[in-house]
Formats: sequence, structure tokens, C-alpha cells
Amino acid sequence: MTVVFVCVDADALGGVQQVTHTLAQGLAVRGYAVRVAGLRRAGAPFRYVERPLYERRAPGWGTPWRGVARWWGARTLREAGGGIAVLTCPEVTGLLAGTVPEGMRVIGQYHGSFAQARAGGRLAQVRRHYGTLDRAVFPSADDAWRFAEEALLPNAVDLPGPLRAWPDTTSYLDVPRVLGVGRLVPGKRFDRLITAFARAARARAGWELHLVGDGPELPRLRACAAAAGVADRVVFRGRVAAAELGREFLNAAVLGLTSEHEGLPPVVAEAAAHGMPAVAFDVSGGVRSLVLDGTTGVLVPHPDLDAFTGALAGLMADPARRRRLGAAARAHAASFRLEPVLDRWEELFAAIHR
Amino acid sequence: MRPDVSVVLTTFDDPDPRVVRSVLGQSLGNLELIVVGAGTGGPGGGDGRVRFVAGQDSGGRGAARNDGLDAARAPFVMVLDAGAELTRHACGSLLAEVERTGADFATGAIGWGQARGRGTAAAPRAGLYAPRRVVDGIRAEPRMFLDAAATNKLYRTAFLREHGLRFPEDVHGEDVVFTSTVFRDARRFAVVPWPVRLVTAGRAGDDAGDMEDVRRRVRAARMADARLRDGGAPDLVGDRQRRFLVHDLREHLDGLPRRSTVWVKEFAAVLRPYLDELEPGVAATVDPMVAVCCHLVQADRVDDLVVAARSLTTPRAAPRHALRVDGRTYWGTRAHPGLDITGLGLAELPFSASRIRHEVTEMTVSGTVVSMTIRTYDPFAVLRRHRTVADLVVRGVRVRLAPRRQPDGGYLIRAETDLAEIRPGRDGRTDALIRFTRADGHHTSDRLLIDPATPPLALTAGGHRITVGPVGDSAFLRVRWRRAGARRRTARPRPRVLTGVRVKEWVYRRLIRVVRPRRDLALFESAGGAACTGNPKYVHEEIRRRGLPLRVCWSVRDDAAGFPADVPLVRRMSWRYVWLLARSGYWVDDRGLPPGFPKPARTRYLQTWDGFPGPGGGDPAGRGAAVTRWDALVSPGPEFARVFVPATEFTGTVLPFGSPKCDVLVTGDPGAAARVREALEIPPDRRILLYAPHPGTTAGDELETLAEALAGQWVIVLRAGPRYRVPRRVRPLVRSAAGYPEVNDLILASDALAGDCMPLVRDYACTGRPILIYSPGGPAADPREPVPGPVLTTPKELVAALADLEDVRERHAARYADFRALYCAEETGDAARRVVDAFFHPHERRR
Repeated sequence: MTVVFVCVDADALGGVQQVTHTLAQGLAVRGYAVRVAGLRRAGAPFRYVERPLYERRAPGWGTPWRGVARWWGARTLREAGGGIAVLTCPEVTGLLAGTVPEGMRVIGQYHGSFAQARAGGRLAQVRRHYGTLDRAVFPSADDAWRFAEEALLPNAVDLPGPLRAWPDTTSYLDVPRVLGVGRLVPGKRFDRLITAFARAARARAGWELHLVGDGPELPRLRACAAAAGVADRVVFRGRVAAAELGREFLNAAVLGLTSEHEGLPPVVAEAAAHGMPAVAFDVSGGVRSLVLDGTTGVLVPHPDLDAFTGALAGLMADPARRRRLGAAARAHAASFRLEPVLDRWEELFAAIHR
Repeated sequence: MRPDVSVVLTTFDDPDPRVVRSVLGQSLGNLELIVVGAGTGGPGGGDGRVRFVAGQDSGGRGAARNDGLDAARAPFVMVLDAGAELTRHACGSLLAEVERTGADFATGAIGWGQARGRGTAAAPRAGLYAPRRVVDGIRAEPRMFLDAAATNKLYRTAFLREHGLRFPEDVHGEDVVFTSTVFRDARRFAVVPWPVRLVTAGRAGDDAGDMEDVRRRVRAARMADARLRDGGAPDLVGDRQRRFLVHDLREHLDGLPRRSTVWVKEFAAVLRPYLDELEPGVAATVDPMVAVCCHLVQADRVDDLVVAARSLTTPRAAPRHALRVDGRTYWGTRAHPGLDITGLGLAELPFSASRIRHEVTEMTVSGTVVSMTIRTYDPFAVLRRHRTVADLVVRGVRVRLAPRRQPDGGYLIRAETDLAEIRPGRDGRTDALIRFTRADGHHTSDRLLIDPATPPLALTAGGHRITVGPVGDSAFLRVRWRRAGARRRTARPRPRVLTGVRVKEWVYRRLIRVVRPRRDLALFESAGGAACTGNPKYVHEEIRRRGLPLRVCWSVRDDAAGFPADVPLVRRMSWRYVWLLARSGYWVDDRGLPPGFPKPARTRYLQTWDGFPGPGGGDPAGRGAAVTRWDALVSPGPEFARVFVPATEFTGTVLPFGSPKCDVLVTGDPGAAARVREALEIPPDRRILLYAPHPGTTAGDELETLAEALAGQWVIVLRAGPRYRVPRRVRPLVRSAAGYPEVNDLILASDALAGDCMPLVRDYACTGRPILIYSPGGPAADPREPVPGPVLTTPKELVAALADLEDVRERHAARYADFRALYCAEETGDAARRVVDAFFHPHERRR
């Protein structure tokens, strides 16, 4: 069977693309004829899979006119000659939902959380375009439920994004280091993590906060660290290649997540796979599905920075609890491994053809 | 392969092709369609999933459906009839719901309108089907008896067979009987909020009004009751009977004013035995006017029944007479418990909302002058308690009236109005109103009831054919006009050349190359032209106070009410607006001027952004282009500068002086409270709660609970979206702020705020008054760090908090201070002056 994934930028660097290429490779290994198509040329193409067993297509142009993009997308779907089209974001779905050829089944994905869709103005787009598709896929059961109930989508289901790889080794969690991973942009709210770390680490010399990633917020965050009096204990690591990220997890003890919005943050899943517990704000069903409060990490009500500080300090002080939570996190993360996720995709394909 | 779902469709001739298509086009492919009672042809004949079953000749639709159910091979079954399309995911989603929950059946909302190939359709009847849930038996939620259709449900076949649930034969309205037994026997059922079935034909019972239909419905209701009683569920009979009053009876009651006396007499006679055997207390649970009608049927007061039935539909006329005894209000002149209409809240309404009943007894026309004799009933003595003048209002034309007092307490009015004066535009219509105006300017108006049998008057005036006649179930007077001989003109659509936005943008871009902006001209806009309010208003006031040599034009979208009278207005997106955009030296706005219009190089643009935190949605690239036009941005506080400025990537001047609109909140305005109380008719002994529900909220029981608990001490001033519906019974306790545009006055007049929307909460915090973060149905979208008060989710909590405001204030003082430090730190009451200094003056110097 043919499966066509359509993204806006198929080869740019991003979480959606990471998930898409991982899935594409996995399905190709299982014998599907898979294509990943972009609607425009990526400025700096990124190679997610070393030896792709699937076909990649992207046009030669940069940002095209809407009509051209629609024509290109429709042609790509037509050439597949049936099978399943996976439209990976609301833009693509809005563009192509009406052009899918007869006999082809369509799955629309939305990688964000319900709260994110509502705050970002995407909810109307999802409500308008996703109800007609064969399935609308959301990252967590909570999000699928809320979309079904409030956007009146009868076809909402949940499927998590798969882990990129499953590490053989786990972290000993003995390096006194708190980790924050993500682009340094306002939505990630690393300033909160810095503040919470500063308060929690006041009595614990030797602890450091490492922020992995780059972005426009860097000077502001530096200033924030200086204002909190921890300028020398917050280390900005810059961008780290995906393959190297595993080492960061092995050399740290706790992951902190203070974002304003998250869908299903892959960094939490990867940290869990390395046996590392997380402290996170409870911002979405995706975060809730990854971090089971008190079992694989600590969940804190969203804006409560004091509670976050307390939770972080508690984990910093208690290595035994860290290991216990970390082991549970790794066990829990096993359900996000590629194989079980692919099984669920195949179940979904079967359900569509029921 | 065994199908997953069997869909049973009964028809008497060839099946409706739309319905068949909607079944065969389901996203769930593995189903069978069983067509009972038709030939073997028709659409879908080529599809292997369609089976034709020859039904019995007798037994009606119920028997045919039973045959279909017997023939069903799938473990799940749906029942359809002609004219009921399924939405695309209906079978699949209901099936998934039943499989997931283990329910005996699943029911979904019924949508109205065409399917249009979409999965979701028009919004379903709110309330009953939301939220998505599993109900453990009908006793957990007896109101689900209102959902009495059989066609929006997917049943477990084994469940139907195990309990021997079948449609009654030879009964019209078999759905009601069948669903009552289904509800009786189901251990649990699932409810989903999305539409699973669409109704495209008119009303469900298109033969409503037929006496035979009344008899059938009564018979079906009796049979349903009997099945509950005999089936071991006598306790549910009352709840099921409520469905009869709310739905079946109501359909016929609405049409009563159009019926002959003989018909109404027979109607009452048919109905009376069933109403007499209703469970005690059922009538008290429905709309008070329906309960009154039931009582009048039982008391055989046929004439009064028609009078009462006219209060059921638009314009929901007031009763002719009302009696107040011991704080209760009774319909008519007798205090009988069956006539209690206290729940309508009519007696306590403020003057401008009070209700008066007008009945036109005679109407004639001579030339273009229409003469009427009107009998007016003032059941709550509004006209005796207030000195008023009366006008007949027909589309802006007013005729002064002289009501003459009658011995029975009513009034007799003779009115003459010349319809040639109404100057109709294109085709249109208007309702005639009688308006009573008090000396202080408050007025109340009501529509005119007229005998529904009155033939419409037709006359010709000003090139229009005008008809004056009754419309609607309760028959009120409406004037319609149509251009005489207009057929030729209306056949051709109006040309839309040179009116599109793109054309205007194109012209504008060429215009600004040649036109130079004038330094003494400024274009102001607030809330997208909806009103003259917010920051731009206060900047404008400061400009006026100083007498700066600046001519200010305001952009207005539709309603010019509330704009200053001495200021030129320009319609948003008109050609003159395009010209002013090019010609004005200053732009001032709080939500973004139309994005396709680049700013001329010499124009200066003051953005006084009103929302919080940022311009959500839209295309990021287009947003960036819109933001680069801004020269200066008014920042109300450091948190705004921290979040908003980076989010928009604005690089120009930030004016960190606070927001001009909050100046008056800091400095205070002693006249505001009096103005608001006067305009909204709030008695001086009541405290004012400003209530701003989240914009998406449409209505609710929560307001009812809240208003009733606060009655006597508080008046709720409601600032809500246009779709918010206030329950009728609490209208005396609630004032809508929709007609009072200046929110600052409301803030200053109120004693506390209940709400969770950001800009308002922030502005309110400037006053230092108590704020209760109230989000019924769970916390709102964006809980931001410090909140200035307790977070409440139920009306009960809110009432408790309001009971002891001082305590709330003390306990949350620290949070309040934190919040103010973060959001209102810059508000010193001097923002307008400093903003005008900073923005408008540099130019004066440079010149």
C-alpha cells in the first residue's frame, strides 16, 4: 500500500519533520511504499534518515503561490494512485483536503495541543478542514478528546510521535546538572527555568543548568541568569546535533520543561528513554501522557513557579528518587518506541479501511 | 464478511437517493443497508451492500422497521427514515463510541441544514448532547427523554433482541414509544456532541396542526407511559411526560392563535384527559407559560388559552392581566397555583425592559395612511407608575399617540401613520412598535399583536408596494415593502466593480506615490471601527484638551452611535477611508489598520495595542509587514513589553507610560457611578457586579444560579459576546452592558469584577477593587502567572466569595499586589499626556 506524507517543508529542521521521517522509514521497512513530499524547497535540507527506503519529493521553488502549491500537492497525491495520504499540518490540510483523488484515504495530523490550537488561532482551521477527513490524528488522548468535544470532530484519534532511537545505555543521574532543551524562543519560557533553578540551587553548590539550543532569546536569558545571580552556573550550550543529544542526557540528572505550550514534546520522551525524570508544567495532554506525576517525573500546575521550584529542588536533593523515577520513565517510554507506534499506525490504517 | 453495522431504511416508495448516498458514503465501509418496503430498484441498486426486504402490508412504519431489525445481520444497527441524512462519520464514530464504552447504544446530536460533504454541520441544539459522556442509565439524567428520535442512535443489536425492544405497530409517533423503552432498559448509553444526522426537510412533524396528529401524539405518549409503568419504571413516567409538554404539546400550542375557536375547543377536549392524568409536579418543571396553557386546557378556558398561547412565540407578549400576591405573580386575575408565572420575572423588570401588550383590534387604510385601533394592556402598571409619552414607531417615523384610560385598567389608542413617510430603501421589512418614553430618556417598546386572520393591507407609496399584515405564530404587525416593478432590476446582481479590497489596495499603493500626508490630519480607529473607545479615545481627548492643531477623523464600521457628534466619521474600507489613509499625517489605532495598506513614508503610526498578550493567528509574514508600519507602541507595563514586543518583533519606539485608557481608572471619576446607575436603571441600594464571561460562552444555567443567589443585594452588569443568552427568569437581575459602550464607566461604577479575560482584568486591577477570577466549566485558556484574586469555577463559590469581599481582599492582597506590579506598574494616571507629548510633539519641533 502507498502512504504519502505531505509537509510544508519536508526537509527543514523541526519536530514535525523528525516525526514524519522516522515514521516514513519505519513504514517503509514494514513494506509500505512511502513518499514524503514537501510543498517548497528547504533552504538548508536536513538529513533525518541515513539510508532512506522511501521516496522524497520536493519542488525546485521556494515559497510558491497558493495555487501552485495546491497543484503540486494534488499532483503528488494523484501520482500515488490510491493508498493513504497523511497531511501533517493544518496548512497542508486546508490546501489539499479538497483535492484528494477519489479512492484515496486521508489522515490529517495536528502536532500541537488543544490549548495551543486555541491560543494560536488554529482551532478554526482544524474545525473547518479536519471533520471531512477519514481520521484526524492528535498527539495525545486528552487532546483528541477535547478536539472531538469542542471542535465537534467525530473522527479524532490519538497517535503519539515515535522515539527516534532507543538508547542502550541509561543515565546514572549522578552528574549534578539540570537540563533544558529547545530553541531559545519566548514560547519555551526558559527564563522561568532559570528562575526556578536559581531558587532551587541556592543551597546546593555544584549544580548547574545546561540549556541546549540556540535562538533569539539568548541575550535576554543571559541577563535573566545574571539577575538571578546564577550567571556562572547557567551554561548555554548552543545547538547540539541530534546524534550527540544522547550524551547530554547521559550527563545530566533532571530535565526541566517550562514551556508555555507543548504538543507532545519529543525531548521529554527522549530523556525518559535515557532513564531521566522530568519536572514539567502541566500544559497539555501530551505532557501528561509523557510525564506521569509521581511515577516518571513531577507535573506542576501550569503557572505555579513556586511549585516548580519545589519539585525541582526535591529531585535535586534525592538521588534515589531520581533513579526510581528515571527507571519508571524508561519503562514508560517504551510505549513510544518506533515498533509499538508503527503497530498503532497499522491499526489505524486497518480501521480506516474497515 | 459480516457487516459491522446494519442501517435500516423504511420507505413507501423508492428510497430517497440523498439518504442512500449518505449511508453508502459513510467512512465506515463495512455496513449493510436494509431497505424495507420498497421495490427492488432505486439508487444504490448496484451496490452489493444494499439489501431489499419486502415488508408487511399492514402495521405502518413501525412494522416495517421491525422487519428491518429482524433482518439485520450486524452486531450494531441504526434506523433511518426518508429525509434524514447521516453525516459522513456517523456510523463510524457512534460505533467507536459504543465499542469503547460498552454502552447499549450511543446517541448523537441532530444538525440542521445540508450536509455539503462536510463532517460537521450547523451547530446542534446546545445542551442536551454536550459534553461527550457516558450516562449510567436514564435515572442518572432523566432529561435525556427529550432526545426521543430513533434515528440518531446506534444500538447494540443484541441489546434490542435481549430485551425484546421493537417498534409499536400501527402507531404514529412510534419513535417516542420505542425510545422510551430503549432508555428504560439501557444500563448505560453514550452521548456525543457532534451531529450524526442532518434534518433537511422542514419541521419534523409537517402535519402539525392536524387534529389527527394531536390524537396520535397523545396516543403515543400514553403508550410510552404505559410501557414505562408496566416495564417496572413507574418513577420515570414524570420525566418522560415532560418531553410531551416541552416538545409535542408545544408544537401545537404555538400555532393556536391561528386556529378557529372550534378547533381549539376540540384540541382542549382531546388533550384534557391526558393532562389530567399527568404525574403531579410535571407542569411545574416546564416553561411557566406552557404550564399556564396546560392549566387553561384543564379548566376549559378556551378563549384565555389562545390569549396565553400568544405569549409563547416571538414577540413573547406580556399577559393581558397579572396579579401579584405575596411576592408571586399570577397570569390573569386569579391567584391559582397553576397560573403562577413568577419564573418569567416579568414583574420586576426595570422600566426600559418592561413589557406591555398591544392588540390591534381594527386596521384600515385610506391612500397611504393606515389607521388602527389598539387595545393596550399594562399588566404590571408600568404606565401608572411612570409618566411617559407614547409613540407609534415604524422605521424611524414616529407618530405621537394619546392613550385613553379604560375602566378595566387598560388603554385604548387610536393611531394614524402615513407610510409614504417611511422612505423605504431597497426591499425590506420592519415591525411596528409602540414606544413609551420617560422624561429621562429611557424608553420601552413592544410589538403590536393583531388577529392572524386579518388580510394584509396593500398600498403603493414612493414607488414601492407596501404590505401591512400579521406574521408569525402569535401574529404581530409587520410592514414589508418591495420596489414596484422591481423584477427587472433585481434580476441582475448589483455590479461589484471597484469595490473589492484588492482594488482599493492597488489604487492606494499608487495614490501614496503622489499624495503627501497632511500634518494636521489624523485617522483614529478603535476596536476595528466598532466603537469610539479604548486608548485612541483617550489620546483623542487629550489632543482636544490641549487644542492641538489636528483634525481627527474616526473610522466607523457599522453603527455610528456612541461616537462624538462633532467629529467627522468615515466608513471603514470605503473609498474615502482609503483616501484618508493616504492623506493623514497620523494614524492611531488599537487593533491594526487593514494589513494590505503600507504606511506612507512621512505618516506616523501610533499603535496602542489593546489585546493581551499578542496578535494571535494570521499569517506570520503578513503580520510582520503590518507590525513594521508601527512607529510607536504604547506599552501598559513591563510584562507587556517583555511578551508582546519580542513576539511581534517590533523594533520601534516603545512608550512605557502606561495606557491612556487607564488614566481615569487611576485618577477616578466621581460621576461614573451615577451615569451607569442612571443609564442601566440600577437602584442605589444594590451593589454592582461586573461580570465578563469568557467570549466563547453562550449562556447558561450558571448565570441563573448566580443571579438568583445574589438577588436583593447585587445587580449583575453583563459584558458578554453577542451570542450570550440571558435566561428569561433572571432578566430583572441582569443588565446587559451591550448598550453602554464605555467600559471604564462600568469598571468605576462596579463593586467587584467576575471574569477571566485578560485586558479587562488588567484594567480593573488599576482600580484596586476586588477581582474574582471566575471561569465556569474549568479554568480559562490562559492562566497567567499571578492572578489578582481567587480562581473560582462554580457559581456557588462565586456567591460565597461575594458574601465576604473584605475577607477575599485581605487573603489575596499579596497576589493582587504581585499582579499589579507585573501588569499595572506604569499606570500613574498620566499616560495620555505623556503619550501625546512623546508622539505628537517631536514633529512640531522638527518643523
